[in-house]
Amino acid sequence: MTAEPKSLRVGETLRLRIVAHVDENVLQLDNVTLPDLSGFDSLGDERRCATSGHGSDCVEVMTLSPTEGGDRTIAPTTLDAIDARNGKPSHFATNSVTIHVAGALQPNGVTRALLDDLLKPIAILVIVGAAAYALLWGFVRRKPLPAPLPAPARPVTPATPIDPLPQLIAALARERTRACVLAVRDELRRRVGAREEETLDDLFARRAAGDDPAVAGALRAVERAAFVDDSQLDGAIDDALRALSKWHES
Amino acid sequence: MTVSAPRKPQVLLDALAATIVGQRPSLEALLSSLIAGGHVLLEGPPGLAKTLACRALASAVGGSFKRIQFTPDLLPSDIVGTRIFDQRAGEFTTVLGPIFANIVLADEVNRAPAKVQSALLEGMQERQVTIGPQTFPLPDPFVVTATMNPLDSEGTYALPLAQMDRFLVKILVDYPSSDEEGRILDRFGGETPALPADVVSIDDILRWRHEARTVHVEPRLKRYVVDLVGATRVKHDYVDRGASPRATLAIVALARARALVAGRDFALPDDVRAVAPAVLRHRLAFNYRTLTDKVDPETIVAGIIAAVPTP
Repeated sequence: MTAEPKSLRVGETLRLRIVAHVDENVLQLDNVTLPDLSGFDSLGDERRCATSGHGSDCVEVMTLSPTEGGDRTIAPTTLDAIDARNGKPSHFATNSVTIHVAGALQPNGVTRALLDDLLKPIAILVIVGAAAYALLWGFVRRKPLPAPLPAPARPVTPATPIDPLPQLIAALARERTRACVLAVRDELRRRVGAREEETLDDLFARRAAGDDPAVAGALRAVERAAFVDDSQLDGAIDDALRALSKWHES
Repeated sequence: MTVSAPRKPQVLLDALAATIVGQRPSLEALLSSLIAGGHVLLEGPPGLAKTLACRALASAVGGSFKRIQFTPDLLPSDIVGTRIFDQRAGEFTTVLGPIFANIVLADEVNRAPAKVQSALLEGMQERQVTIGPQTFPLPDPFVVTATMNPLDSEGTYALPLAQMDRFLVKILVDYPSSDEEGRILDRFGGETPALPADVVSIDDILRWRHEARTVHVEPRLKRYVVDLVGATRVKHDYVDRGASPRATLAIVALARARALVAGRDFALPDDVRAVAPAVLRHRLAFNYRTLTDKVDPETIVAGIIAAVPTP
């Protein structure tokens, strides 16, 4: 499928040409689904099929006029037919075509000359008036002298960032709830740079935990505590706390 | 807590891996499907040990095994069985077909016409077969492993999406690495090695099934599975229709089975992610643009799965 021209203005016309070759001699093609042409006015449609010893070449040329500006993609034209290569019903599709449509047409030369004659004196008057007003205003309201610059502030030593993990682990040891497990898990995942779609195996596959078995152990133990049945949560939290402590020591 | 069982699924997996060189993901999926009680569709070129894997599985579980070669002239009675008139007894007797086995290999299932396919698929779904006036239950466990060759589409009858949905998983069997091929030569180049025999029993399988059903799946993980399957139904450039709730059930069942094989009594997001492609790939209806744009459906499935945040 081709379009000529591919760049035009609203109100101008383009010719959309759809070509299909079939291995049989046909007078016309059925089962052709034309794309949605909303945003274009259809000004004409011409179809013909030329047959030869090698089948038929069918061409459809549509004359279109865009009604809106912007880049417009015309979807593929589709055809349901039997594929001659394997004898099976198949769905064929052309390429899509993108048309660039600029804004509306400019006024013609005569209109433009008339507009120029009218607008130019008005524009000059407006500019001169604005300049005079600005001068007068500046004269009446003179700007005060700038105030002296304040003394530079003393440099502030940034506070040491607080590591949230020990607090989260302490909360887990104290409260022993699933919510605390998940908070520790989130922080651990953040530390090893886990993305939200990554699973534990993904992290190990890309060696996010490095070669440190203590980190891997902590991740596994916390993962278990995050997903075990409630009846086993207590034991899983104990294991997680031990693994986290081992990591902290290492 | 690890699941205690006299004979664990890992034993069976190791026995299969000792026979089949490589193909570890396929063997894991085969075992998980056996535990989850679903049927398996194996797709891969000929000569990749698909039949051997099924035969080894049947031998290792000590169950009965039947192989049916699907051809265009196959009849439904060739699968389910038929009634014949016994002249000596003066009455009709029923001859059961090859579908009555614990593990049935339906080789090149897409080479038989729809009537034959539906006879098999009906048995797969109902787990019983009606011959004449009588209904016969199929043995338990009953697992159909069907194979399809993706290379020769000439003279085949494509399985409709509704029938594909009956298979719990579709496993893609790929060519081995050069190292694995070298080991295949060592193992099968001389005498044909014996298949693993009676590694586990049918009772073990039935017990694993029961244990798998008790594997804990956290509500957040269930939500993740729902989101994952829901993501296949969102408007997509290459997918016309997404997976059904049967896929949601299948993912959870397989995630439980995978957790059990790993010795856990709880499922992880990793279990869900590992089984999701095999559950979804044959349940999505890809549109013509996948062909025209030459996009691999596997990439589409992987992209959909990867876009859903894990719990």
